[in-house]
Amino acid sequence: MRRIVIPILLFLLLVLEGVALDLLPASLVRHEWQLVPHWVLIFLTLKIMLFDKEDTNISVIHGLIFGLLIDVVYTGILGVYMFSYGIVVYLLYGLSRLLHANVYTTILLSVIGVAVADMVINILFSASGITDLIWGQYLLYRMLPTVLANVFFLLVLYPLLAKWLEKWKAERFSKSSAYF
Amino acid sequence: MPFFHKKRLFIFLIGFIILVALIGFSLRDRENPTSVEQFVKDAVGWTQGLVHAPIDYVTTVFDNIDDLQDTFHENQVLREKIAEYKGLFYDVQKLEEENAELRDLLEKANSIRSYIPIQASVISRSPEQWMEKVTINKGNQDGIKKNMAVITAKGMIGKIETRSKFTSTVKLLTGFDQFNRISATIAREDDSDIHGMIEGYNQTSEKLVFKIIESSDSDLKKGELVSSSGMGGLFPSGLPIGKVTDVKPDQYGLTRTAFVEPVADMYEIDHVIVVDREHDTGNQSGSGKDVTS
Repeated sequence: MRRIVIPILLFLLLVLEGVALDLLPASLVRHEWQLVPHWVLIFLTLKIMLFDKEDTNISVIHGLIFGLLIDVVYTGILGVYMFSYGIVVYLLYGLSRLLHANVYTTILLSVIGVAVADMVINILFSASGITDLIWGQYLLYRMLPTVLANVFFLLVLYPLLAKWLEKWKAERFSKSSAYF
Repeated sequence: MPFFHKKRLFIFLIGFIILVALIGFSLRDRENPTSVEQFVKDAVGWTQGLVHAPIDYVTTVFDNIDDLQDTFHENQVLREKIAEYKGLFYDVQKLEEENAELRDLLEKANSIRSYIPIQASVISRSPEQWMEKVTINKGNQDGIKKNMAVITAKGMIGKIETRSKFTSTVKLLTGFDQFNRISATIAREDDSDIHGMIEGYNQTSEKLVFKIIESSDSDLKKGELVSSSGMGGLFPSGLPIGKVTDVKPDQYGLTRTAFVEPVADMYEIDHVIVVDREHDTGNQSGSGKDVTS
């Protein structure tokens, strides 16, 4: 059951990213800022912190697959989101082993995750000539709003999902079933 | 942290090579996305259609509440306009009839202006805002082809970039660059129409750049309407694009550049019309564009 629920949730978040900008008031979107929803990554951060075992790499694979889907559906440039999500999720694994799981560390990790992922994405886009990257402008108008908006999303998501994830984790340990 | 173990370094490098290969693959000038991509797009598009309906409903409720505040004033203005339109309507009908008759005389069925409209609605907007793209719920099946113009009631918003069976991606005017030129014109009463090219969108000034080809004597005025000229062969003529806000000579002083503000709203797009230029179907469909259908 859970084997399917998490990919479905991820898929739903991917779909919702496409209508995310409709939900915001137009005055915000019209601004020079760019708010980029990295909701898939936020969910993966939550999953790493609250659910995953120490020695599994399944979230990296989720990151790669759903990154590729974002590339296909939303940007048309394959590989960019896939690569950056894959790397960032792997990085978050390393960090999550050092930290105790609670709200604050999850926020910290998601800030790091979104910032690094967005930066990698932009470096790749500018390297392939799609955007002109000016660091000062990028940090102010894109990185900052994006990180803030995604942390806000995490704060909405955390109370909804934290209990489920922890419950599932506990169930998994009690059954010791062969979960992926 | 021992990040650069041999094995990890190896995987990282392989990943990087795959990345470069994939980017190279997708930056090629592809006629159509691969069938796998098309399938994924359709699957996501279908789900988005489901999700979009309730969200659209909620946002329109809020918009409606906003609109109510101006209703009284608008109503008065609109009443006056309706009175004017009645007169115009008869004129237009008469002119259309006359036009059709004259065309019959000339035995010329399609003009450069005529097109077949395909109604579509927007189901999502790319969250990656470097890419100015929206997805619409019509695709191959409904006769959509690459490079068709997309308009709203107010004016042109972009063109079809890629298409799959049931959805297609629209590149918005705000994402146009020098590879997506539009042949455009400013219509004048006498024969001194001003021709030029829309050569992309300037991000800093947030205006379209309109390069005037021949330097005509007549000066441009602010607020003049730029519309597509139909000379490019892709779009029909007469689609409104934008209004002139500023004119500057170029660096050699030979040609002039006008900055054009798009008339259509690029942020609140719900329903669009895909423009199928009629006489395209006769001469140009044989170029192997329909491989996937």
